[in-house]
Amino acid sequence: MKKLLEISLGVVTSVGGFLEVGSMATAAQAGALFGFQLIWAIVLGTICIIFLVEMAGRFAAVSHHTIADGIRERFGFNAFLWPLLAVLLVNFLVLSAEIGGVAIAAELATGISFQWWALPAAFLAWLLLWKGTFGLIEKGVSMLGLITLCFVVAAVMLKPEWKQVAAGAVPSLPQHDTANYWFMAVSILGASISPYLFMFYSSGAIEDQWDKSYLGTNRAIAGLGMSFGGTISVAVLIVAALVLGAHGVNQVDDYNQLPLMLISVFGFWGFVLFVASLGIACFGAALEVALQQAYLVAQGFGWTWGEDLKPRDDPGFSLVYTLTLFFAAVPIALGLDPLRLTIFSMALTAASLPLTVVPFLFLLNDERYVGQHRNGVVSNAAVIFVIALGFVLAVVTIPLQIFGGT
Amino acid sequence: MQLLRDILDKQVVDREQVKIGKVDGLVAELRQGKPPRVVAVELGAIALARRLGARPGRLSARLAARLSGKQQARPHRIAWTKVRDIGVDIEFDIDVRRTKILAWQSWLRDRIVGRIPGA
Repeated sequence: MKKLLEISLGVVTSVGGFLEVGSMATAAQAGALFGFQLIWAIVLGTICIIFLVEMAGRFAAVSHHTIADGIRERFGFNAFLWPLLAVLLVNFLVLSAEIGGVAIAAELATGISFQWWALPAAFLAWLLLWKGTFGLIEKGVSMLGLITLCFVVAAVMLKPEWKQVAAGAVPSLPQHDTANYWFMAVSILGASISPYLFMFYSSGAIEDQWDKSYLGTNRAIAGLGMSFGGTISVAVLIVAALVLGAHGVNQVDDYNQLPLMLISVFGFWGFVLFVASLGIACFGAALEVALQQAYLVAQGFGWTWGEDLKPRDDPGFSLVYTLTLFFAAVPIALGLDPLRLTIFSMALTAASLPLTVVPFLFLLNDERYVGQHRNGVVSNAAVIFVIALGFVLAVVTIPLQIFGGT
Repeated sequence: MQLLRDILDKQVVDREQVKIGKVDGLVAELRQGKPPRVVAVELGAIALARRLGARPGRLSARLAARLSGKQQARPHRIAWTKVRDIGVDIEFDIDVRRTKILAWQSWLRDRIVGRIPGA
């Protein structure tokens, strides 16, 4: 019974935490421009992240190491430095984009320009990290994130042709805007397969003191939580395709176009729901990314870390998230367009994947860490697939950025 | 046991399980006619910088000397004889508060983090 409760709680938190500025913006853009055609990218990305999250949780539960600990210990400091720097940079951009998402939500709600909201949003996030516990961040904020389920309700109410939706789950070649199509696909994959997601998950497993008895729980949370989360992304894409496309909005280049998605379904409350969804989803993600930044540095250098400790007991750790949040808010406060930053950082995330995913192949097959709970053929095939995908994405991202980017 | 595989880059804790850092370097003693013997582990930025190359090592030693005095221009060392347990972490039979290893964290606590309300 207790396990069941734990599993449902875990599933709920990962569903609530799944949607963030990246998956929202990329799904909306893809839906507006290409209809249901890019659903396959969300499905593919979700399958990949299920495998990676399951492995990150299993690694932590069995070896009592986080992924960052594992990479440093297994490959040495000099090799660890590359994923460390790559993830720090990517996380920083993603954090900035999430703060931008919160700021845009505040602008939509109040009419005051988003630039003014960046620092207050970052401050509020900092305050929660400074005073809050891991449970509060993980469960409380993700619970609120369940409001994003309104996109699923909207998608169902719009009565899409489910046959066409299913057809979109199969990859197909675009009839127009070829470079843009592939750029969108890359951004969607980057938004779904975020390194911060699985690295955060492994730190969370240590914070919650998982051991081998959690392996089943872990599998259920990874599988169900991420699938439901991916469903919300697909719903965003469906709504964008049916509403924005129908209103002749093909190019989403302004956040102000986005509330239209829910307004046409729910009327005024649609506007409220959209603003709340965007604000809460981005705020929750900002908390997780800032925390992950601190986890990564503290674990990489062996400092004391833990969100349940008081800041004075882990000063290095607390200082990292404090500085990260502040500096990430600066570009938005200076007026950098959050939407462009989001799309750019999602593509960059995709390009950074090989650095963080290649270690999985070694760590999850090393008996000294995972003993008899090593990867099976399927999991290894999945890792190799993500690595191959990551390399392709790394090579194509920059040309696509130039030719297909917004 | 293999030194590079099983010791280097592992988490180090003191006897109170306080996280001190990672094993950033190893110190071995060469002995006439006998195999070399590990005498200490090294921790800290200087030991890490040395692993990147001779020049980063010298640079960080100079920086440390400038910031916190000549005594700090060498990596922190813990004698291998103090090792107590090698598991997920390596535990040394020391009290980190009696060393200078976490001096920078104490400085951070007293001067910056501790002064922010709610810390």
